[in-house]
Order: sequence, then structure tokens, then C-alpha cells
Amino acid sequence: MRPGLRTALATGLVGAALAAMSHPAVAAWIVAALGEAPRRGLSAERLLALATHHLALAGTGLALVAVLGLGLGILATRAGAASLRGGIDGIAAAAQAVPPVVMVALALPILGFGGPPTLLALVAYGIMPVLRGTVGALESVSPEAREAAQAMGFTRLQILLRVELPLAMPGLVDALRTALVLAIATTAVGALAGASTLGTPIVAGLQNQNVLPMLQGALATAALAFLCDAAMLMLASLALADRARR
Amino acid sequence: MALLDVAANRLLPGDPIMACEFHDRSIGLVSLLSLAGLVIGAMLPRRVGGLLALCLFLSAWAVLLLGLGAEAARIVATMPPAARASLGSGFWLASSCLLVLAGGGIARVRRRGLGVLAILAAAGLLVAAWRGGGLDGLSLAVEYAGRREALHEAIAEHLLLAGGAVALAIPAAVILSLWRSGQGVVGLLVSGVQVIPAVALLGALVALVGGVLRAVPALRDLGLSALGPLPALLGIAAYLLLPLWRGIGTALRAADPAAVDAAEAMGLTKAQILARVKLPLGAPILVGALRVAAVQSLGLATLGALIGAGGLGRIVFDGMAQFAPDLILLGAIPIIFLSLAAEGSLSAVEAYCRARWRA
Repeated sequence: MRPGLRTALATGLVGAALAAMSHPAVAAWIVAALGEAPRRGLSAERLLALATHHLALAGTGLALVAVLGLGLGILATRAGAASLRGGIDGIAAAAQAVPPVVMVALALPILGFGGPPTLLALVAYGIMPVLRGTVGALESVSPEAREAAQAMGFTRLQILLRVELPLAMPGLVDALRTALVLAIATTAVGALAGASTLGTPIVAGLQNQNVLPMLQGALATAALAFLCDAAMLMLASLALADRARR
Repeated sequence: MALLDVAANRLLPGDPIMACEFHDRSIGLVSLLSLAGLVIGAMLPRRVGGLLALCLFLSAWAVLLLGLGAEAARIVATMPPAARASLGSGFWLASSCLLVLAGGGIARVRRRGLGVLAILAAAGLLVAAWRGGGLDGLSLAVEYAGRREALHEAIAEHLLLAGGAVALAIPAAVILSLWRSGQGVVGLLVSGVQVIPAVALLGALVALVGGVLRAVPALRDLGLSALGPLPALLGIAAYLLLPLWRGIGTALRAADPAAVDAAEAMGLTKAQILARVKLPLGAPILVGALRVAAVQSLGLATLGALIGAGGLGRIVFDGMAQFAPDLILLGAIPIIFLSLAAEGSLSAVEAYCRARWRA
């Protein structure tokens, strides 16, 4: 088995184990082992509903981030936009200085409770890593490959689609993977703004000192992150294999 | 766009006050100054034009701030005591535009240290306006006046929490990098932690620390508890391991093998090679790793308030619970400022190391 696929499988197994641990019966046993008083936890159905909502919100954010980040990244690497590079790096550093929690908090008075402030935080926090990764990946394409394509009479669009993007693919997938993990984490924080995600039982459990739902939420969030990461790793390994065959 | 939002008290949504409703001419002056900055920046040669434009944009921002402060004080004076005037979206938009324009001016002058100087000048203006009472009418200032003590305490807690996590993570990262044969396992574990969302890790740690304390009650006598700084410190430090561990690894490999061989041939011991060759050559990378870790730590410390560890996050969460935008800002502004200060100062140290030990 290829090493990339093996990592994906291992990550997926960790995710599956965590997901199993978040099941009410198993989690109740863990909590009892930690010596907490037994209390009511979340049913598996409720957990699944929260996970679905979490995934939908994070997925929407990721799609927005991917379109905006990749698009802007491609624009920034075109000839004639070189002067924008310093600005992009500066804004990227500044955007990282605002943690996701603070982003959610600041969006709250403007957009109200629930999904919208979470989505704004997802986009604002995720776009810069994707943009940076895209620029980096496209710049690592060797100038010789570009010149050869030019000499063969490719148009600019053809060069982008057939040479630059395929060659930059590993870097692009890596950037999206980072963005995905960030999106899952930021969505969990969105529970503070009232979005119903897997972060909700954690926040509620912390507030009323109920360890069982808190642990279930924490395990399920981590499980979701690992499973999504595994899916992305699998995709990356398949993309690479596809390219090697060609 | 609304420059100010005026409301009967701090929780109600405000009525927007537009630029045309202002009673003095400050907004006209702001537009005039910004326009002059644009024209002068475009017409004069690079250096001079950039510098003049920068000064004009800075003064435009100062006039905007003071004008809003004066207008807010005027409006609030005519209303009942609970009335608040907070900065509206127009102010934030105008400020970001001026920031971008000023950044353009700084880039044109291309002088090292000018950016720092401009930030210091802007901060000086802000402090002077604040001390002079020019901003007292704004809701943010009222909020600050009411929570001065709590804010100062929160900043101290935040720094302690973030600094403590870095201090905890550094020896742990050193120990991890010393374990030669286990680097593969360490790499998997350390990057696996990054995948876990911070909220989840903190929640799980609260449960875990609670269990450990119940098993070993003696620890409780040391003042440890399941909710509080202990799980927050552990959680934050866990996230800092990756940048630090990776930085140490890269830094120790940064020295040219030929330089190491030469040092060996000169009869230097291993410790001497580490202290005199490897560490100086890797210093910029080490500082860079520390910079990434410090900025992450300051951001993650915000979440510490969720599990009762205090810090600036508590003010932000209070503001969210009360739906009071100015209270959220009061907590958020120091967080952003601290992160930017850490980023700026440590990247300056990084650049200095790079220049000092250029091989």
C-alpha cells in the first residue's frame, strides 16, 4: 500500500475510534471510570443530527473559502499582479492575529445569533491559508514547464488549466486540507454564537457542569475532524496516483 | 454608512448617525485631507510623496477620531444618562481604508522602521485623545471606565496564560526532539493534536483532569482544579508543540554539514559545536518558531475563559452573553493588539538574528 493511503487509513481509524467513544453507552462508561456521577447524555440520534449540521455549516464555509481563495490566488499569480504579493502577505499575517473566537464574537452584533456569524468567521479565517497555499503552489511550478507550454502554442488559459494547476495539485490539496481542519474547529467555536453544532454540547456541558455531554461533544468533534482529514488525505493520495499514471 | 450609532442604553440597537448629520465640519476636513493625500501621493516623486501622503492620512484619521468623539459627547449630553453612542460601521470602513492607504504610502517610501514609527504615532494619537478626554463620549470609553480594573486584570491573566503555555511547551518540545529514535511517532502525535478542534480538546481535558484529581485527591491540596488554568495551560501547550518541535528540528539541521565537520576537526566538543555553531546558525528559525507559537498561544488563551481560566476571553464572552458589542470590542481589541505586537516584535528579533549571524 502506498504511504499516503496508509496515513489516510490510520487517520480514519483514529476518527472511527473517537466516534465510537462518543456513543452514549461508551461515553457513559468512560465518565463513570473517571469517577463522575452518572447523568443523562446525548442520544446517538441527537449527536448525529448535530454532526450533520456541523458538517453542512463547515462544508458551506469550506466551499466559499475554496472558491474565493483559489480564485484570488490564481489572480495574484498572474503577471501584472506581482505588486499585490506584499499586500497579501501583510493581510494574511494581520488576519491570523484575530483568533476565530474573536471573529465570531465581532460578527455577532452585526449578523445576529446562529449560523451567519459562524459562516463569516469561517470565511474570514480560512481564506488566507488557502490564498497563501495557492500562491505558493502555483509559484513552485517550474518556469521551464510554463515556457515549454508557451512554445507549444498554448494559450494562457490552457497553460493554467493543463500545466500549472495539475503541477500545483499537491500543494493545492494540502492548502484545502488545512482549511478543512480549520473549518471544523471554527464551526465548533460557532456554538458560542448559538449555531447548533457539535460544539453546542461542549459549551452547554461546561456551563452546567455536566461532563457526559461535554465529553461526547468533544469526542464527536475530534472524530469528525479526523474523519474529514482522512477523506482529504485519501483524495490527495488518489490525485497523486492519478498523476503518476499519466 | 453610519459613523455613529446612538441608542437609549447599551443593549438596544442604535439609530445610525450619518456623516451629513454632523454639527461640525470634521468629516469634511477628513475627506479633504484624504483626497489631498491621494493627489499628493500620486503627483510628487516616490519618497516625498509617500511620506507626505502618510502624514495626511494619519492626520485624517486623527481628525475623524476626534470629530466622532466630539459629536458623540454632544449627542449624549442631550440624552438621558444611560444613552450610548458607539462607533458605527462607517467608522470601521473609513479606518480600514485609511490604513490600507497609509500602508501604501509606507511601501512607497521603502524605509525600514517607518511602519513601526507610523504605528507608534497612531497609537500616540489615540492615547493623547483618550487622556485629553476627547473620546469620553464614545460607548467604548464608557465601557472601559466601568471595567478598568477587570480589564487590566484580564490582560495580566491572558499574558500569564499565554506565556505559561509557551513556557510549558518549550521544554516539552526540547525533550521530544531529544528522543532520536521516536521522531516518526512524535511527528504523528504532534500533528495529530492539530487536527483536534481546540474547543473539543479543552472540553476533554476538563473531564480528564477532573478524573485524575478524583483519583489522586492530594493534588487538590496544591490548589489544582478541573475547571481553571490547569487544563487550559495543558491544552494550549499541546497545540504549540508542533511549531516548536518542527522549529527545533529544522534549526539544528540548518548548519552546513561542512561547518560542523570543520568545527569537529578543530577539536570542538559536541556541546561546543551546539553552542557555537548549530545554535547561532539556527537562531532565526528558532525565533520564527517561537513567533508562531506565541501568536497561536495568545489566540488560544481566549478560549481559556470557556473553562474558567480567565483572561480577555472572559470579557469577550460576557459581551456575547449580554449582546453588548462594545464589551466584545473591549475584550477583542487588546487580544488583536497583543497578537500583532508579539508577531511584530518577534519578527524584528528574527530579522536581527538573521543579520547578526549571517553565515
